[in-house]
Formats: sequence, structure tokens, C-alpha cells
Amino acid sequence: MADLALATAQDRPPITAPDVASLSRALGETENLTRWRQRALAVYLEAPWPDRVRHLWRFSDPADLLPEAPLPPPDVNVGTRLPEEGPAVLIVPGQLPRWNAAAAAAGLVLSPLSHGDPTAWPLGEAVPATHGLFEALNAAAWSSGLCVRVPRGRKLAAPLRVVLPAAPGASLPRLLVLVESGAEATIIEDHLGGGEQTRVVGVSELFLAPNSHLRHVLVQRWETGAAGHLTLRGRLERDASLFAVLATFGGRRAKLDVGAVLDGEGSRSEMVGVTLGEGRQHLDHHTRHEHRAGRTFSNLDFRAAVSGRARSTYTGLIRIDTGAPGSEAYQENRNLLLSPRAHADTIPELEILTDEVSCSHGATVAPVDPEHVFYLQSRGIPAAEALRLIVRGFLEETLQRIPQSLRPALEELVAGRLNRLGRGGGR
Amino acid sequence: MKANPIADLNSDYLAKYGFHDPEDYLHKAPKGLHHEVVEMISRYKQEPEWMREFRHRALDIFLSKPMPRWGDQERLGALDFANIHYYIKARGDQARSWDDVPDNIKRTFDRLGVPEAERKFLAGVTAQYESEVVYHSIRADLEKQGVLFSDMDSGLREHPEIVRRYFATVIPPEDNKFAALNSAVWSGGSFIYVPPRTKVEIPLQAYFRINAENMGQFERTLIIADEGASVHYIEGCTAPVYATDSLHSAVVELIAMKGAHIRYTTIQNWSTNVYNLVTKRAYAHEDAVVEWVDGNLGSKLTMKYPSVYLMGERAHGEVLSVAFAGDGQHQDTGAKMIHAAPHTTSRIISKSISKGAGRCSYRGMVKVARGAAGCRTSVECDALLIGERARSDTYPTMDIAEDDVRVEHEARVSKLADEQLFYLQSRGLDADQARLMIVNGFIEPFVRELPMEYAVELNRLIELEMEGTVG
Repeated sequence: MADLALATAQDRPPITAPDVASLSRALGETENLTRWRQRALAVYLEAPWPDRVRHLWRFSDPADLLPEAPLPPPDVNVGTRLPEEGPAVLIVPGQLPRWNAAAAAAGLVLSPLSHGDPTAWPLGEAVPATHGLFEALNAAAWSSGLCVRVPRGRKLAAPLRVVLPAAPGASLPRLLVLVESGAEATIIEDHLGGGEQTRVVGVSELFLAPNSHLRHVLVQRWETGAAGHLTLRGRLERDASLFAVLATFGGRRAKLDVGAVLDGEGSRSEMVGVTLGEGRQHLDHHTRHEHRAGRTFSNLDFRAAVSGRARSTYTGLIRIDTGAPGSEAYQENRNLLLSPRAHADTIPELEILTDEVSCSHGATVAPVDPEHVFYLQSRGIPAAEALRLIVRGFLEETLQRIPQSLRPALEELVAGRLNRLGRGGGR
Repeated sequence: MKANPIADLNSDYLAKYGFHDPEDYLHKAPKGLHHEVVEMISRYKQEPEWMREFRHRALDIFLSKPMPRWGDQERLGALDFANIHYYIKARGDQARSWDDVPDNIKRTFDRLGVPEAERKFLAGVTAQYESEVVYHSIRADLEKQGVLFSDMDSGLREHPEIVRRYFATVIPPEDNKFAALNSAVWSGGSFIYVPPRTKVEIPLQAYFRINAENMGQFERTLIIADEGASVHYIEGCTAPVYATDSLHSAVVELIAMKGAHIRYTTIQNWSTNVYNLVTKRAYAHEDAVVEWVDGNLGSKLTMKYPSVYLMGERAHGEVLSVAFAGDGQHQDTGAKMIHAAPHTTSRIISKSISKGAGRCSYRGMVKVARGAAGCRTSVECDALLIGERARSDTYPTMDIAEDDVRVEHEARVSKLADEQLFYLQSRGLDADQARLMIVNGFIEPFVRELPMEYAVELNRLIELEMEGTVG
């Protein structure tokens, strides 16, 4: 096996210490931050190639997701504009983030990650460079980063939309969210754009101080042909709560590794996910919920509908540590197969290291019930429309869990995607 | 938290089962594994050339394969292949009657209740002592029916054409490192052939036992149920306690032809120093049914995932299993169902109890191949945790490449519920009785499927261990 690791180690995107230094200089970073990147680079160069024996990497080939050259191309023109309405930030590879007036006035503190100090921020504490090859690459060479700080006790009404257009070539965005104690916020992390040559390696870290509450929506709607890997971790202190939404539709191949570490007593994580795959898309999701403190709660509801030759892969782990008595954890993954060549894998895992727990998971894979289609057709609804209704119904239960303020936007996204069903993507 | 509400099932193993006879071996291969050992085994058994070659090829495969990189790496890493005897033959040759069995071996079997089993079932008994079968009787009517039931070595000698046709076709040595090891040094095990449309009414039983320090036992079982035939085979085993680790690595192959029915029942109660690394797999052809009923109570580390390859239309596979892990034990068990034909169905029910620092892992695989339309499969895992250091893992894999299927998986992990205890105590039961009742209720779906003798034995075992354990 060592031979295999050696052979592929040469295939990792090449990057050197001078590359990192010049990137850091171009972004106007402090020496502290440059040193932080250089340490990550050392980890990256030594990082083992993802182990295909482990479930995490069993279904995706890392080589399909890595950029050829990790540094951002000069003067990227992504063609995406900073939204004018509502608080919004635009993150373009190789540039400092820009935000609109509404964002500036929203009551939160926005800063380019490049202007921060790793000793003042918990940078890399939720997703360290040692997490894996992709996370190490991002830590060494992220090309556009944003820090969002929600000050103590501040409750934000309007959601902050962070727009992350993917560039041709490599995009390595990084997001750091600090929700201070008693604060409340909603953030929409919107990955879009890209094309055939696009490879995105993104990292998002969410830190929830005691009694803080964050709603975080991760949308991945890259254009056809793009590929990428996104890692997201929330770290929750005492009585904090995270409501995370995953909505993944885009790209040719995408792998998401998302999770929450319940570090403080009484913290709660609710996660819902919907994914729709068509054509030859392969969408690979991994979720991880780690209960490290007592009386913690996590719940996950993840649904995938795949048509054409698309493949959905779901692997998930709930881990309850010895020091987490009184915890509850639930996990549910449902898959709807819309065509004979569609494929679904599901591996929902549990690791329970103490007895004072309540824990369950469920997974199903099933086709569209032909009787449902028949019933709808007998009511004069064309087959393609009937299929859309059925998929819509399948996702509805999960979408219902999403807070009302966010639901219309997500339902619109789903509807847009569903309209493509039966126009080549379907059966 | 109360200490030890239930004692480890095997905590007093030495007193109850851990007797052992002074070693008295005619043939005890030196420790370690080389081609010379394989050559010695094969020559001693006067095997045909193809089997000798098969063993040597398997050894090369074993030596070239790395250790598994999944599973319990810590325990697997402690396994020292160089420190194991790979072949031991006890004194005394094949015995047809109980009177001919050597006395020290008899004493061992008396303690295990083999004669009783024979009295009760009047079935063919293959009792394996060390690596060779020493006692074997087949009831007359089995012979009349044309049922072949013998130890594997005799099977190879007396029915070479059947053995050669099916041996290693379900589990080739390339399958995994431990299957390769078994293929190289196998000895003993059962060989059963049931002719077409023949129903074997009584369960066929065999006891397995290992009894030498640092020795491995590598039995090899092959069961073929021809078209429309049916058979129930029961394997139970227990072993004396020794200070150093023993390795048990069996290969069991079942072939259920069109319309055949095979049930294979095991209760594994190796002493807690034994590595039990077993490959069990069945082929179920058209309309065939294969059921594995699998209990794992003993051993230090068990890795066992009984599988059914559903090869023909409408075949059905089932695994019903119970695992119990006390301090120092890891039961890494599960099941695999491979749906390779349309309209095949399968069901997996797995129950586990982790107690003290014990760990139970369910590791399973359900695969539906493209084109295998109309399949249905359900997996249910239930884990009971007793003690704050108890651990339970669930690692299921579902790989579905066909849309016209229904796949369901459910798992629950919980502790012995205080409310249930409270309720039962309020009805006049003492804490011990209440706990026993809850545990018995938890494993009842498994016990229900056992023959009466085994059910009684299992219930008694659990009851004994639960006595006087109120913390």
C-alpha cells in the first residue's frame, strides 16, 4: 500500500514555499499568517494520499477533484456581480472579498481573512491542515478568505449571503465564522459558476460560542463540468445551536465533508440535506457528528434523488465519546432512484462509546412507485410532470424542516432543478 | 452508575469450561508457517496432487496479501503468525463408535456434552478434537437417503469428484488473507452432500474444539444441497483458556442449488484469548433459501460476516445474529447480501450486547447489481449497552445500482433502560430478575430460532452470569 501512496503522491498539485510566500504577499498578509500558511504547506507536502480503503474516500477518486495547479489564475473574471439587494459578500479567487452597503450596515464585523491574525482567530481549529490532503492544500494556498464575526448578543435579522463564484482553474475559498456568545445569525454560503476546468477546494469553519445560534445554508450549484471538494465543520460550545442546510445540485463530481463537533454541554446540531443528481453527475456527501460533551443532540435528515446515470454517495458517522452521557443522535438517509442506471450508496455509521445514549439511524433506497405515476397520469398529468411532483413530494418532508425565512429561496432552487427532469436528465 | 450489573459472560470461563488435557500429540507441526509445513500436512494426509498444489498456491497468496487495513487494527496487529502451530493430530484414528474414542478425548467431550447431543439428536456427530476429526458416526437412515456427512478429510478421500468440483468455488484463496491461510493449512471440518429432493429431517451437528497452546485450528466446511434438498447444520464450539493467543480461522462454503434450503447455526463460545477470523459464504441459486443463524459470545476478537450471494431468481438469504462482548472482547461481526439476480430477497437482523469495556461492531454490506430488478432487502441492527465504557459501532454499506429495488436499513443503540427496570421491579421482580428478563427479551428473536437444546443452553448461560450481580 505504501507503494500506491508513493506513486500517487507525485500527482498532488505542485506548490512550493516561494509560491505560498508570493501568494501571501500579494494578498497583503502579515508575517504571522504567512508562517501559518507555510506550516500548512509542510503538512500538505507530507499528507498521505486519501485512503480509498476508508469509507470516506471509498467512492470518489481524489485525483478527479484536485486542481492541476492550485494557485489562482491572475486577474480572474468570474462574471458574477456583487448582489445589490440584502447583505452580501463576493469572494473571487485571488482577490480580497468585497461586500455591499447592506452587509456593512448589517451589524456584523466583516474582514478579509488575509487581514486577520491567526493568533487572534481560531483559524484551523475546526478544520486543521491535518484533517486531510484537501484541507491541507486549502490551508496552505487559500486564495480568497472571509471572516464573519457576529458580536456578542447581536441578533441579525437579514441573512448574509456569501457568493463564491468558481473560477476557471483552481478556486480555494476559505470562510471563518465566529458567532459570539448569545448572538444569532443566518449565513448563506452560495457556491456557483465554474466550468469544465474548474476545481474548487473550499474550507468553512464555524465557531459557535456559548448560547449562540447559527443558521448556515451551504448551496453548491456549480455549472456542469466543474468539480470540487468542500469541507465544513461547526464547533459548538455550551448550549449553542447550529441549523445547517446542504443543498447540492451542481458539478460533474463534488464531494462534501460536513459536520459538527458538539464540544459544549447542551449544544445541538440539526442538519438537513437535499441533493439532486442527473446525467453522469457523482455527488458524494459525508457527514460527521461528534458528541464530546454531555446532553448534546444531533439530528440529520439527508435525501437524495438521482436520475440518468447519476450517482449519489452518502457516508455518515455519528460518534458519541465516553464523556458525552445523556446524548441523543439521529441520522436518516433516504434515496430515490429515478432511472435504471441511477446509483445510490449509503453508509450510515455509528460509533457509540458510552451507554447513557439514545441513538438511531435509518437508510432506504427505493424507486419511484409506478402506482403513484399511474395515479397522477390517470388524473391527466403528463408522465414527466408526475415524476417532478413525486420527487418534489419526496424532498418536501426534509424541506419542511427548514426555517420559513429560508425556505422559499431553497424551494425555488429545487424547483429550477426539477424542471430539468424529463428533459434529458430523467428516465 | 452501578458497577457491573451483568457479569462478563466469560469471566469464569476457566472454572466452567477451561479444563484442558495434558497435551498428547502424535503430530504437532513446529510453530510457524512455511511451504514445508504445508507439504508435511498434505503428505501426511496422502492428499491428491491437486489439493497439494492448491495448498501451496494458497500459501503464496497468504504470504503476499497484506493484513486487512480495516477493522480492529490494534488487536489484529498483535497477531503473530510465526508463533502458531498449524497442524496437530491427536492420538487415535477415525472412530465409528463412541467406545473407540480415546479416554482423554472422551473426557473433553463429556464436559462439552457431545454424547448427550448424540443421544438427543441421534444424528451424525462429527466431533473435532484439535485439527483432525476423531469421532464420526452417521445414522443409518442418512446413509440410506444417500446423504454424505463426514469430516472434510474423509470427504476428500471418499468423494474426490464432488469435493474437487465444489471446493473453494465459493471462497477462493484469493478472497482474503485468512481464507488463503485456511486454504493452505486446512484440516478437518465437515463435508455434507444432500442429494436432489432429499430432506434431512434432523439437524446435523458437529462440535469443534481447540486444545493446544499456540495452535491454530483451520477447519474447512463444504455443504452442498442439491436441487430441492434441505438440510440444517449446527456448529457449536468452545475452547479451554490458555495464556497466549490462539488463532481460529475457518472457511465455510455453502451451495444451495435450485430450490434447496440450507440453514447453518453456530454458537461461538471460544475462550477470550482466541482470535476467531472466519470466512463464511453461501451461493443461493434459483428459488433457494440460505439462512445463517450466528451467535458470538466468546473469543478475544471475532471477525465474521456470513454472506449470501443470491445468484438465481427469487433466491432468499437471511442472517440472524447475536453478539455479546464483555471486558477485553471485540465482536466485529455482520452480514453480506449480494443480490446478483432479479427478484431476490434478503433480511439481516443483528442484535448485540456490549458490557463493561466490551465492544460490538456491526459491519455489513448489501449490494444490488445492475439488472437485479425487483429485489427487496432489509437490515435491522439493535445494540444494547451496559456500562459507561461499553462501545457499539454500526458500519453498514449499501451499494445499489438498480432502481427497481427496495432497500431498508435501521439501527438503534440504547442502554438497558431504567424505566423498564423500574417497571419490572414495581411488579415484584428483583433487580437481577428484571435485568435478566430485559436481556432475554432483547435476544429472544435469536433464541427462538435455535433448536431446543441450544436455546436452553444459551438461556442458562446468560442466567448464570446474571446471578448476584446487583451493583
